[in-house]
Amino acid sequence: MLIRRLKENSIELVDIEPIEAELLRQVPGVCESGGDPRSEARLFSSPADSSESQFLNDWAEYVRPELRHLFLAARNTVKEDLEKLSDFPGRLGRLIVPRVHSDAWLNALNQARLILATKFNFSDRELSMHEAPKWFSRRDLVLQQINFYAEIQERIMDAVEDE
Amino acid sequence: MAETVVETKVETSLGTPWNVVVHDDPVNLMSYVTMVFQRVFGFSKQKAQSHMLEVHHKGRSIVWTGARERAEFYVQQLHEYLLLATLERAE
Repeated sequence: MLIRRLKENSIELVDIEPIEAELLRQVPGVCESGGDPRSEARLFSSPADSSESQFLNDWAEYVRPELRHLFLAARNTVKEDLEKLSDFPGRLGRLIVPRVHSDAWLNALNQARLILATKFNFSDRELSMHEAPKWFSRRDLVLQQINFYAEIQERIMDAVEDE
Repeated sequence: MAETVVETKVETSLGTPWNVVVHDDPVNLMSYVTMVFQRVFGFSKQKAQSHMLEVHHKGRSIVWTGARERAEFYVQQLHEYLLLATLERAE
């Protein structure tokens, strides 16, 4: 898969392999924490220590719902873009992402990576490993998925920065 | 007429500076954290990278110090980018 800027207002993902298309389509679903307390705690981390009780209460009442709305909106934007992903059997896929959606993509990919890393309890060391294991457990595959999403984030940032 | 003098001790926290602290997170990409610092604080790429590396190597970096209200605003912005950020009183 190649990710590049297309004209002024778009980012183009071309030569998308079927497995890459599948991983991309999983992004919105992966972002659903399903109420998992550890994932929720990571997405909505505390903005201060417990001595700031009034601030924490205000944050929970006013800011957290805004964050939840923002994260959901990013997921929905990615989901809608992915509906336009063309990948016919036997052919590589192509997807055009409007430039104005790049922040939503970066955000949703980050949500996906954070949730996967939290759910599977990856250590710092594991997350910085780039060697392919000799055999793949489900956990190893999830680590590859996290790294794949990281690469897409990098390419999107490159495409935006080139402007 | 006797004059009554009322002494009031005004303890104000208006002048107390607050730190915006970003904490290390193994998931957020170094390039992403650098980009966020540039966007939120208007840092140059070099300054943003310096703070990012401080987070990476020391576990945390004070990225901004100043008035409470502004610090709260910055913490919220950093959370929008899913960074681990907290507010704390400057020593």
